[in-house]
Amino acid sequence: MVPPVQVSPLIKLGRYSALFLGIAYGAKRYSFLKPREEEERRLAAEAKKKPDEQKRIERELAEAQEDTILK
Amino acid sequence: MTSFNLIPKDAILLTAVTYSKPRLATFWYYAKVELVPPTPAEIPTAIQSLKKIINSAKTGSFKQLTVKEALLNGLVATEVWMWFYVGEIIGKRGIIGYDV
Repeated sequence: MVPPVQVSPLIKLGRYSALFLGIAYGAKRYSFLKPREEEERRLAAEAKKKPDEQKRIERELAEAQEDTILK
Repeated sequence: MTSFNLIPKDAILLTAVTYSKPRLATFWYYAKVELVPPTPAEIPTAIQSLKKIINSAKTGSFKQLTVKEALLNGLVATEVWMWFYVGEIIGKRGIIGYDV
């Protein structure tokens, strides 16, 4: 087998510092994005409420006015 | 060791272990030397190398590198930068995208 390569300390330092920077960046960004997404979901749910309400009213109106002998 | 009453699940596990053991051993053999973090004693050496690189950028001696050396350096730099993205994957606890 080929003997293992002796990696330069600069490269080792660079690798592991990049790793920790990446972990910190990922964690920070996640905690930043999470409340924003929940806020957006809440707004989307509220924005959906009115058209849903309208649909429900229309549906009930249609059912009430439906005039068939099959009922 | 020969027990011929293995149910298929055990047999699969056994073959998996038998297959991976020597490969795992090779991996550790190389990783113990190549993938270890720098010891505190190595950090001054690392800073020296960094100073040398900055110096070569200042004096313009990096133009004396051969194209092959420059390409290899670029490859190594890319690999070091990829560890950043691996760290980001670990930090955001997801492989693709942020799972909010």
